[in-house]
Amino acid sequence: MRRIALFLARRIVGGALTLWAIVTLTFLMYWSLSPQPGRFVYPFGIKVTPYQLHDGARRLGATRPKLTQYGDWWWHLAHGDFGHMWTGATLNDNVLTTAPIGPQLYPAIRETLCILIGGAILAVLISVPLGAIAGRRIGSTADKLISLGALVGVCTHPIVTGKLLTQWFGIDLHWLPVGGYCTFVKHAAPQGLGLPANYQPCGGPVDWAQSLILPWFTFAFLFLAIYTRMIRASVSESLHEDYVRTARAKGARERRVMARHVLPNASLRVLTMVGMDIGTALGVAVFVEFAYGFFGLARLSINAMTGDPGAEATDLPMLLAVVTVIALIVVIGNLIVDTLYAVVDPRTGTADRPGRTKEIAAGVM
Amino acid sequence: MTAVELDAPRATQRNAWRLTLGRFLSDRAAVAALVAFAFVLFASFAGGPIVSALVGHNGFDQFPYATNATLDPAGVWSHVPTTRQVRLDEYSNVLPAPKSSPKTLMVLGADGPLGRDEFIRVLDGGKASIEIGVFAVLISALIAVPFGCIAGFYGGVADAVISRLTEWVMAFPLIFFLVYATIHLTPALRPIGWGHDIPAGVPMVALLIGAFTSFYPLRLVRAQLLTLRNAEFVDSARMVGSSGFRIIRKDLLPHLVPTLLVWGAVAVATDMLLEVGLSVIGVGVQASTATWGTLLAQTTGTIYNAGPSFGGGGAGNHHTTWHTIWPTVCILISVVSLNQLSDSLRRAIEPWRRG
Repeated sequence: MRRIALFLARRIVGGALTLWAIVTLTFLMYWSLSPQPGRFVYPFGIKVTPYQLHDGARRLGATRPKLTQYGDWWWHLAHGDFGHMWTGATLNDNVLTTAPIGPQLYPAIRETLCILIGGAILAVLISVPLGAIAGRRIGSTADKLISLGALVGVCTHPIVTGKLLTQWFGIDLHWLPVGGYCTFVKHAAPQGLGLPANYQPCGGPVDWAQSLILPWFTFAFLFLAIYTRMIRASVSESLHEDYVRTARAKGARERRVMARHVLPNASLRVLTMVGMDIGTALGVAVFVEFAYGFFGLARLSINAMTGDPGAEATDLPMLLAVVTVIALIVVIGNLIVDTLYAVVDPRTGTADRPGRTKEIAAGVM
Repeated sequence: MTAVELDAPRATQRNAWRLTLGRFLSDRAAVAALVAFAFVLFASFAGGPIVSALVGHNGFDQFPYATNATLDPAGVWSHVPTTRQVRLDEYSNVLPAPKSSPKTLMVLGADGPLGRDEFIRVLDGGKASIEIGVFAVLISALIAVPFGCIAGFYGGVADAVISRLTEWVMAFPLIFFLVYATIHLTPALRPIGWGHDIPAGVPMVALLIGAFTSFYPLRLVRAQLLTLRNAEFVDSARMVGSSGFRIIRKDLLPHLVPTLLVWGAVAVATDMLLEVGLSVIGVGVQASTATWGTLLAQTTGTIYNAGPSFGGGGAGNHHTTWHTIWPTVCILISVVSLNQLSDSLRRAIEPWRRG
């Protein structure tokens, strides 16, 4: 127990350090690329006078010393809110109104997490049996087919998968919705928007699942391919291990050998990979969100980078908020997987984890 | 002359590279991948000019009569009037092209409302995409080798700083760094190019992708040098008085070549996919330049030009599924062949390692 606690403490410190570094890097990167925060206050047209730029920046608090602004960010974070965003800042009667970040951020986190978690579960559920079938008899027809499929999966960009799946299942066959996220809980139609009386916003578990099926498969297709290849290699290796021979010598059936001795070890490696691929997965989520018109973290961060159409400047508070959340997801996800790993495999405390074997997936993250 | 000399079997001298080449060429999948990629290379670099010469127009020519009245593009293998002037009646309705107008062949039809030749654009797009992939790999190797060598060979503070930075950057999705950097550097870097051979925007995208992906080869180089720096030949080089720089240059760099080759083949494919991602988001090469990414971006829409997936009715409505499939097939062929090439290279270089 003490070993795991020590291990966890080390990981938490490391995670906090990563979080700090990512936020600081973002902050430095923002200020080093000649930003124009004033554009959010005076976004009309391309011609903004230098006075307006300075005045806008002053009103947003962007002319204060950088260190104050940096500290301000952590101060907000320590209080559990993310402050106000610059996008949509309006100047009326010499009073600047800005919207809080939270109400935009929390639904976005929910959408992205839905895609990530569901997609990861689907990828593992499909890849373990496929990898086991392929790995048991390397070179058989089944193995060749699965390997070819995995290769195609690894080499297909998720935006293409998404585009084609929407076209076929959404537009041509009308089986599933074309895009957009439906909440898990059904909400009443908003009042006062002039909507027709019989308008029903989508929502509820069935709509929710329907709206997420295609994104899950799109997301899983890439990772499925990676994990299948890995489990295949792992299974084919461990078939020659001593403990498998021992199990066979004891007279265990082939199915029992696979289920009790080979697959648990292979799954352990997948578990590590899932933890280490969270960063990659968030990158893939960008394209899944784009392909299905979701408004998740990825879309939010791209919007924060480009600013609103009139402003074309980067929304620093929003960017920092998104970056913090993404870094937190990566760190916490890694922590959970590490803990699981430390509980399952007692050697982790001393030995290092296997190196990150990134394949072509790096191309889309 | 003695009989002994005659009977002695002649020892043929074969160096390691010849052996590797032999192993590589005896691998059927490797040769198939090599042929496939050579074909893609030929089609992308020579295909555009050849087809242009055959059909009489190039990938930039816009034919208003390649689209119908609702701006839907002409289909596969259609003969399109070359008239550039759209005839209108008194109510500004589009009239059909005159019968006497000469026609030109569009092999894969038109690319969208602008009425350009999709086939030539797919071929030209390959040129830009492969250039981006190759340049990016060269740039990231240029960054990774020196820093990786310093981190791996000297260790200490340099290693700690470089490793920590690598870890931090790699913990975060790469695409966000890329998009952010591209948005801010576009005005300065995008105009760089060299005529039609290296379209404007290609050097910028290659530079940024190369810079941000250099962390992977950096780790590879570092890991390799960490194991090699304690080797006996390094000790003996040191004993005869070689400086650290000379040891790296003369003794260690040759050991990196196989690793970098195997990585490079996959990295070209990876970088081509990254370009697709950037173009689909809308921050890569400008939309008028054909790359496989911008061709796909035409059908999906981007953040600047809202297609169906961005909640707008813009660019996407005038495209068919085929406009998604052509570039996808090209990307698939080149990425799969490069992937296989890398796999086969690894197997040829290190035959003792399984898998």
